[in-house]
Amino acid sequence: MADVAEGGEASATKDDTAGDNAGDGANAVPPTPPTPAQRELPETEAYSHLLVLLLLLDANDPECKAASVAALNRLSQFNRRTLDALQARIVFYYSLAHERFGELAEVRPSLLALHRVAALRFDEMGQETILNLLMRNYLHYNMYDQAEKLRSKAQLPASRSNQQQCRYLYYLGRIRAIQLEYSDAKECLTQAHRKAPKLAKGFALELTKWITVVRLLLGEIPEKKDLTTAVSGGAAAQRALLPYLELTGAVRLGDLEKFRAVQEAHEAAFRADKTTNLVTRLRRNVIRTGLRRVSLAYSAISLDDVAQKLGLGEGDGDVEFVVAKAIRDGGIDATIDHDARTMHSSDATDVYSTGEPQAAFHARIAFCLDTHNEAVKAMRYPDKVKKGKGDGERKSAKDRDLEELAMHIMDEDEMDEF
Amino acid sequence: MADLASAKKTLDGLVKAYAAGDATKTASLLGTLKVAITAFPALPPLFEQTPTAVEELMLARDVLEHATLFAVSQQDDAAAERNFNQLRPYYSDCAGMIPPSPRQALLTGLNLLRLLVQNRIAEFHTELELIPNEAHDDRHVAFCLDLESSLMEGAYNKIFAASGSIPTPDYAHFMTMLNATVRDEIAACVERGYTRLGVKDAARLLDVDAGGMDALAAERGWARSTDGGAFVFREEAAPPSAKDIPSMRLINQTLLYAKELERIV
Repeated sequence: MADVAEGGEASATKDDTAGDNAGDGANAVPPTPPTPAQRELPETEAYSHLLVLLLLLDANDPECKAASVAALNRLSQFNRRTLDALQARIVFYYSLAHERFGELAEVRPSLLALHRVAALRFDEMGQETILNLLMRNYLHYNMYDQAEKLRSKAQLPASRSNQQQCRYLYYLGRIRAIQLEYSDAKECLTQAHRKAPKLAKGFALELTKWITVVRLLLGEIPEKKDLTTAVSGGAAAQRALLPYLELTGAVRLGDLEKFRAVQEAHEAAFRADKTTNLVTRLRRNVIRTGLRRVSLAYSAISLDDVAQKLGLGEGDGDVEFVVAKAIRDGGIDATIDHDARTMHSSDATDVYSTGEPQAAFHARIAFCLDTHNEAVKAMRYPDKVKKGKGDGERKSAKDRDLEELAMHIMDEDEMDEF
Repeated sequence: MADLASAKKTLDGLVKAYAAGDATKTASLLGTLKVAITAFPALPPLFEQTPTAVEELMLARDVLEHATLFAVSQQDDAAAERNFNQLRPYYSDCAGMIPPSPRQALLTGLNLLRLLVQNRIAEFHTELELIPNEAHDDRHVAFCLDLESSLMEGAYNKIFAASGSIPTPDYAHFMTMLNATVRDEIAACVERGYTRLGVKDAARLLDVDAGGMDALAAERGWARSTDGGAFVFREEAAPPSAKDIPSMRLINQTLLYAKELERIV
């Protein structure tokens, strides 16, 4: 705990700005009245700033912006490691306050500056929080390029809290999805989903939407129960997922007409979720699935019938190319007879004579090993308790437990607001 | 600001020279103007609030728009990319300060098309996210979106047809390149999708004449049938041999399992 810059000047200004606030905050938490020395602590002041900020935010008061700016200005006068955790929290609400009132772009420069300071001071909590805020900021304005550049250049602190890691993975997953790296995106998003606290229902819902689209883009079909009964959050969440459920249905059937109808009916929903462009990209997957069904069902079929079954436009000979491309990409196993205008499906080969089962087996083993490793990494061990004397030690341990509990509840709450 | 007045005059000259297709004059005027705009304090990233800020910004935007268009017409893709990147802040960050440019959609579309032609699909989509939904209906942008989806689906006829209906002549250069790419794609598809294909049919599919067809067939090493009237693609599949077993991969995987299991136990 190096109090580097806690000079006389800092504590002098403290008294006249927020002396009375400090009193309130201090009274609310510990049961014993604070000693004058405790009253003087900048941590007490920061904490009361935080409480005021929370109160204003809950009341949706536009004043919260000014309050958050004041709090940050005040905190910038100190350089104490003990303040880092509180400052990270305050920065979070600073960004949230501005987001609520649609001024997110304006806080970007100051967030960048704060991130720089946090990195210089090895303030890990600050770094991870602010990096996530910046990514959120960029993605809010669809600036995927900038977000990716920042992410790849910024150093990640060694130890990170679970909540911040979840957010990070969510943003990273979204960037990867836009960049067409769907497997990476799926991995990030599912990990975030697994790690997210159970209470963060809004966050989980958001993730489910993205995971659904990404899996569809990968050519996988999510299970129906993932989008209906297995969703936590009850009827409201299921209603929110309805567009994605219908979308999955359309892709599964390979029916372009239905796909188009779903796309139009839920355009507003997709737009609000920022998945419109991804959904547009699904069109080719719909065609691919439809073709696969046709090629499995018929040993030979005329190209015009294929066009009709898939709902492709009549005439202009595009079917032939679409089929040819699907064959080349390995989507279907067939040949085209140009003169007769037909598609001949090749005989189904024995899948057990190929490397396919082995590959599937490997994918499962890799998943299990990965889960195990993640679980080992996520395990928490209790801090080594310092050897103290009887009564006092037990009390402080109890206090610490309570504090930790309060911290966790706060974290989960915060994720819930997502 | 004397600079501003003279720069404006030079810009008028530039517009005329560009319209007349005078490449050397355009290039030299562009050089002068680019140097001139470096002296303006109101441009990004400084954004100083000078009294003539709006005019300065608009002038610089015009210069860069012309520079991009000129680079495209000179088929200099690298310069086009550079100029467009310089132009970008004028479209995004200055949106509130100056009236939108009439050429914005055209240049945005041009940039999308360039990324598409260079097969930088990830960047294409990143760029696309930045374009507001309302702008997707603009004919320049919609043109590129259609092209992208046709290309991904394999609706190559639509792309050949689109070359005839480009929204502005500025897109012609990239469309020629795109057609060449598409032709390669089709050829690759044909190799895999057909067992045999008549020479004339192939020429029609690839949208080339007889001479072009011969050259292409020679380049890709397509074999003709005995009567010479068709290409034959499918060879007899070789019987499976021990070489087909991916032994290296299997060994690597097994070793990985062993290592991981050891760690667990």
